[in-house]
Formats: sequence, C-alpha cells, structure tokens
Amino acid sequence: MSSACKHAILDMQGVSFSYTGAAPFVKDLGLTVCEGEFIGLLGANGSGKSTILKLGSGILKPAAGSVSLWGKPLRAYANKDRAKLISYLPQTIDISVPFTVAEVVGMGLYPYDVRPSMTVAEALTLVGLEDKRNSYLSDLSGGEQRRVFIAMTLLQGAGLLLLDEPLANLDIRYQVEIVRLLKQLNKERSISVVIALHDINIALQFEKVVLIQPGSILGVGTPEEILTEERIRHAFGVDVKIIRQPGGKAYISYESNFSRPDKEPGTPVAG
Amino acid sequence: MKLKIFFVIVIFFFSFGLSLFWGPSVINPFNLDETSREILLSIRAPRSVVALLMGMALGASGAVLQGILRNPLADPYVLGISSGASLAAALGILAGASVFGAVTVPLFAFAGAIATGAVVGMMGWNRGVIWPERLLLAGVGLSFLFSALLMLIMSISADEGLRRAILWIFGDLSMSDWTRVPYGLVLVAGGLAIPIVRARALNALVLGDEFAHSLGFSPGKERLLLFVSVGFLTAASVSLGGMIGFIGLLVPHIMRFMVGSDNRYLVPVSALSGGALLCFADLISKSILPPMELPAGIVTAIIGAPYFLFLLRRKNVLSL
Amino acid sequence: MHKPATLFLILLLFFCAIPSSSYGEASRRIISLAPNITEILFSLGLGDRIIGVTTFCDYPEEARKKPKVGGMWNPSLEAILNLKPDLVAVSTNGNHKEFEERLRSMGIKTYIFTARRLSELPRDLREAGQAFGAGQRAEVLAQEIEATLSRFKKPAPLRKKRVFFIVWPDPLVAAGPGTLIDDVLNLLGAENVAGKARVSYPKYSIEELLRQAPDIIVIGDMREGIQKMSEGLLKRLKSVPAVKNNKVFYIGDDLYRLGPRTPKGIEDLSRLLGDKP
Repeated sequence: MSSACKHAILDMQGVSFSYTGAAPFVKDLGLTVCEGEFIGLLGANGSGKSTILKLGSGILKPAAGSVSLWGKPLRAYANKDRAKLISYLPQTIDISVPFTVAEVVGMGLYPYDVRPSMTVAEALTLVGLEDKRNSYLSDLSGGEQRRVFIAMTLLQGAGLLLLDEPLANLDIRYQVEIVRLLKQLNKERSISVVIALHDINIALQFEKVVLIQPGSILGVGTPEEILTEERIRHAFGVDVKIIRQPGGKAYISYESNFSRPDKEPGTPVAG
Repeated sequence: MKLKIFFVIVIFFFSFGLSLFWGPSVINPFNLDETSREILLSIRAPRSVVALLMGMALGASGAVLQGILRNPLADPYVLGISSGASLAAALGILAGASVFGAVTVPLFAFAGAIATGAVVGMMGWNRGVIWPERLLLAGVGLSFLFSALLMLIMSISADEGLRRAILWIFGDLSMSDWTRVPYGLVLVAGGLAIPIVRARALNALVLGDEFAHSLGFSPGKERLLLFVSVGFLTAASVSLGGMIGFIGLLVPHIMRFMVGSDNRYLVPVSALSGGALLCFADLISKSILPPMELPAGIVTAIIGAPYFLFLLRRKNVLSL
Repeated sequence: MHKPATLFLILLLFFCAIPSSSYGEASRRIISLAPNITEILFSLGLGDRIIGVTTFCDYPEEARKKPKVGGMWNPSLEAILNLKPDLVAVSTNGNHKEFEERLRSMGIKTYIFTARRLSELPRDLREAGQAFGAGQRAEVLAQEIEATLSRFKKPAPLRKKRVFFIVWPDPLVAAGPGTLIDDVLNLLGAENVAGKARVSYPKYSIEELLRQAPDIIVIGDMREGIQKMSEGLLKRLKSVPAVKNNKVFYIGDDLYRLGPRTPKGIEDLSRLLGDKP
C-alpha cells in the first residue's frame, strides 16, 4: 500500500499506536491519501477510525511508523503551517458556548498572520449559510452546524479535510446534503476529503472506501472490490446481504436473526 | 459591538471618577480644603485604584478559567486557589510573621495562591496535558480541604487577632493604600497580557482541544500558559483585598450576553466591567451607612446577582 | 395514667419552689461561660469552686489553669457534662440563649448574668453575690464601683473632648454605641466619636474619621502586635489633631469586660485623657 499516486498528500506507513502503552491498538497501518481523493473510512464503532484520523492530523503521535504530509514528516511542520494544509474536525464539538456562525467561521483565519483572500461571507455562501451569519451556533440544526465547520475549514485553506463521523446523528436528508457539499468542494476546489463513516449504505455510494477492522485496514478500493459480504461480516460482525441494482446502485440488507447474537467484529471469517 | 465596548470603557472611568468625588461625603474638586484634599489623594484615590485592579483581576480570571476549563461554574474560587491563599494568610497572621512589613499578609496570600495553583495544576496534569475535568475536581477537593483547615484554625484559636483574617477573607478594601498599587498593577498587567495575546487560542480551546489543534494551536501548552495567567490574576485579587465572590463567576457571563463569546473582546471587557462593578460596589458599601462600612462583597452580590438573573430569564442564550 | 402526671407536677412545683438565692450557695462545681463572669466569680472568692471556663477566660492567672469547655459562642456540651457541674454561669452578652435552654433541659442549673451596661454592673454583682452566698464581698465590690461612678459624675474638664477608641486597627474597628467603652467615655464627659454609628463595633470609615478629627485616640492594647499593627493606620491619620498633638494612647484590656476590673479601667482611661477627678 505504498504511494500509488503522483501526489500523495498524506502518507502513513507502518504506523502503530497504543492508548494504554500495552498491546498496540493500531498495528502497522499503512494508508495513503492522494490529491483530490474522496475517501470513506468505514468501520464499526471502536474500530479505530477516529484514532487513524487523529494520527493522520498529528493530534496523536504514533509509537512507530511515519506520517508525512506532502512528502515531509508531519512532525517537522510548525503547528500553524500544518493547520494551513490539513484540517481535522472532531466528531463532537462543544457548541454550548454562544459563539455566532461568523465568529466560528472566522476562526479559520487563526493560522494566518496575513488575511487570505477568502472572506467569512464567501465561505458561508459556499456552504449555503449566507443568511445565518449572525445566528448562534446552538440555534442551528445539526446539518447546518456541520456546514459551519466546513465553511471554517474553507477559510482555513486546508487542502485535506479529515472529518470524524460528520454524518453521525443527522437524518438522511442532511447526510445527503453534507456529502453533496463535500463532493462539490472536492470537485470544484480540489479539496481532498477523508470521511469516517459507520453507515455501510453510504459507503457503498463512494468511489473509494477504506474498510477498517479493529486496529488495521481490511481493504482499500472501490466499494465493489472491498465491500463484500464476507468482509462486512468480518468488520462489523453481522451477516448482511448486498443487493446490487442494475443501475450500479447497491445497498445492504441485514440478514442476521434478531434473536441470535452475532460474532464479535474482527473474528476471522469462518471457512 | 464597538458601541458596547465603548460603553463599558465609559462606565469604567465613570465609576472611578464617581468613587473619587462621591462617598460618605461629597468632595467638590474645585473647592478643596486641607482635609478633603487628603481624603481624596491618600484615602479615596488608592482605594478606588485597588478596587478597580482587584475587580479587573477577578473578572478576567473568571473569563479565562471558564474558557480553558469549558465550564460555566469555573472561577478562581472553585479551583481552590483562593482558599489556599486565605489559609496561607491565616497561618501567616497566626505565626505573627511580619518579616516583610505591611505587605506580609498579601505576600502570604500570594504564596498560597501560587502554591495551590501549582498543586491543582499537578493534580490535573496527566499524560502531558491538563485535563479540565480533573483540574476542576482537584480544585473543588482542595478548596474543601483548605476551607476545612481554615475553619479548624479559627475554631481552635482563641486569638481575637483572627478577626482580621476573617474580615480579610471576606474581602476588605478599607485599608487600601498606595503601597498595594505597584504589585497589584504588575500582577494584573501580566495576568491580562497573556489572555489578550492568546485570545485566539482561548477561543479555539473553548470549542475543544482537537479543534484547537486543528487550527494550529498546541492545546496543552496554551492551557498551561493561560492557567499561569489565572494564577497571576488570582494572586492579585486575593492579595489586594481578600476574597470577594460573584465577580469572577458571573461578570464573564453577563459580558457574554453583551459582547459575545469572542475572548478577544470578552476578556478585556470582563476585566473592565469587573473593575467598574467592584469600584462602584465599594463606593456604595462605604457610603450607605456612614461612618460604618459594609463588606464590598455583599454589595457586589446584591447589585450583580439580580441583574444576572434578569438577563438569564430574558435572553434565551446558553452561556458556556 | 394519673400517677406519672401527678409525679411530674409535684416535681415541677418542687423545682420551681427552690428559691433562686439558695441554689448558688450550694453549688460547689461551677462552670463559667464568659470571661467577665469568670473574673466576677474569682473576685467573689469563688475561684476554688470553678471547675471549667472558656478559652477566652485569661484573667486572673488561675483562670488559665482551669479546664476549658470551648469558646463563648461554641462551648462543648459534652465537655460541660463530663465535668459534672452543679451550675453553669452564662451571660446574656455573648452566650447563646439556646445553649442556656439546652443546659436546663438536660437538668443542669444555670445562673444568668444580665448586665450589659456600666450602670447595671453594681446591681448584677449584688444579685450574684446573694445567689452564690458571697453577699458581703459582692457588696464591697458593688460599692467600690458605685464610688468610682459617682466620683466621675462630677462635671469634668474633659467635657467636649472628642475621643475615638480603636478596638482593632486593621481593618479599623471602633467601640461604638452600647459598649462599655462608650458608657465610660460618656461617664468621663468625653464625646465618643464613634458613638453615633449603628452597631456596637462598627468597621469604621477612615475618611469619615479624618473629617471627624478626634482630639484623642485610644487604642485597646489587648494583644501583642497591636502597636505595630497600628503604625500604618496612624500614618494615614497624621493630619488628625490627636495624632498631630501626640494624643494617641494605648490602654490595657480592663475596659473590654464588665467586671471587677472595670473601675481600674475607668481610672486608667481618665488618667490617659488628662482628667483629674
């Protein structure tokens, strides 16, 4: 899984990490994000999606292995320089503080001493929130809040977004809205995006998927290649059926018996 | 926004001016006799300056602490720093120490504040970063311990000299003179400079450590730096006039209603209005029943708390 | 049903019937809950019978060696019970009423000193003397106090002198109205500058004191370090006539307690104020 592309933005090789100092949680992980890619990082709860994104953004420091950004070790970057290239949005951001939308979006300028060309108003227009400028963050819907933070990363100018479960707790309309917005930014502004997900149906709509089992990568590629019934059973511990429609659309159906326990995720596929 | 900030600055200087010329008796600045001049220059002026400085320290430290701990109930007293300071002061009085002359008691309080801050910081420090919840709980725990020790000392001491310690612990500005101003000024200036310079980091920290990291800040380092500034500010307030509640806890909330949560404005505005409020409260406390003086803390709470409750009902804004 | 109730009634009548003057006489084990009561009891020659005092009771010297039962506001009920007293002497000036009631409800007899003002002291002393069977000594003491009072009742040249009595210098606390000190200053014909404050021991405004410009300042020197502690205050009061004219005096703690030392306190203060009765 070495850099298979011309311009690798983020390159993680042989990365190991442990929260406790004992047995490593992430073991010998390799993951490359190429310029302009739009990747779904799919895995069960607790499989290490967040950990991988935090290792990639430098919040966590790997015990072994290397993480490089644009070919240079991530740790060699000054904090502010790194912030101009990569932006990690945690799954939960404490929004109980009465910050306004404009104030939060404006924080995207913090890494800069000289104001870059984009303004708060422009960023808000790009995410379709131009009329919410002075609203309090806590007055917005979950989907709108996500868009506010995405607008902030636009101002931040980061070419790579690492988004930790940006679709969690959103109903389907907002999930589609956010993915559509991110795809649009990916196409029009060539921003590379990695989205941590646990919804297999959404991952099936992506062009590139990284499937995670606890602590390591089970496969990288198109959904057709990666999201097989066996692998999903392995990663999630449930029996599913993948239904592919003639038009290319695919979705899954839960096949397990509700009255019988499934296997733990990560248990080797029987047979 | 600009108007509101201007308004707070005007209030700040207005309360300073008012406290100079109004009081138990009115002083006409254009018709000064000997006594009035003396009262103005060596009684009222230093007292007003000390009240302003102390209020500034309280207001700013509350704002910073609530931000770095992401907790609306944080203030210098919750962290136990102030009770540590009081305990040290009471011990100093008991021991009869007077090595450093007039500033002995403030000096003990200062040492107590810094030492407690360090202990609380160490308790909250784990795996290379400060953990807000641990820090807060450690502070609450230490605060209980120190208050209990303080009570213990007072209970077993027949010494009426502790009356002073008690009054001082409840906050007292009546003995303020110019000797307190220089160290107060240095501590407050230092304690305010840090959060004003690091206001962006503080804003990012309010939204989360990972969020702050993503914006190019080092959360552990920033929080430590800001915590040091709280140490300066608390040491200043406790050694200037003892313990006065309310301002540190509620003035930042009131100011959030007014100017919003952006710490670039919130911290300085909390400082200014904290100073104005304490100065004004002290003015009332010494003027209402002359020649008697009431503790300024009582008046502060009586003025401030109803206004805060009014705002809480009226504005449906969650504050931190 | 009838029997216990009747018994209770009889017992009640029995206790009520005891003349108040006799129970003190019989008391061999007395606990004093206020320093001035301790002094009074000692001066009545009852020192041997005192088996417990408060932590504040430091006069006379023997009082310091008596077992302690706590402070004035927070004496220990258990410590008192352990000492098995016949009688506990309390003051309306400093002890809690509820505590006295509690003692009685536990079957401990109490004697209550009610005097708060200078003029009430002789009467209180005589009553106590009768109650404790030390009537003669009490009479001598009472007459001594009455003599002192009448001696100073004559018009004195001190009249109109404005005196400020400092109880504590930092923060500034004065002796206000309703205190023994206020009574004594009035007796001596001086004007208590803090006499118009609203509470007995007001925390006093320094700037008001500057305006009121007292002729004489007296500082209660009840504890080591008071003189040193007062330096800062006196520096701020340097323009006041009392300080300018070197009329700042320190005085012992005789005037803090309404008791046998009060006459001495009056004499001392009058001497300090430059009065010759």
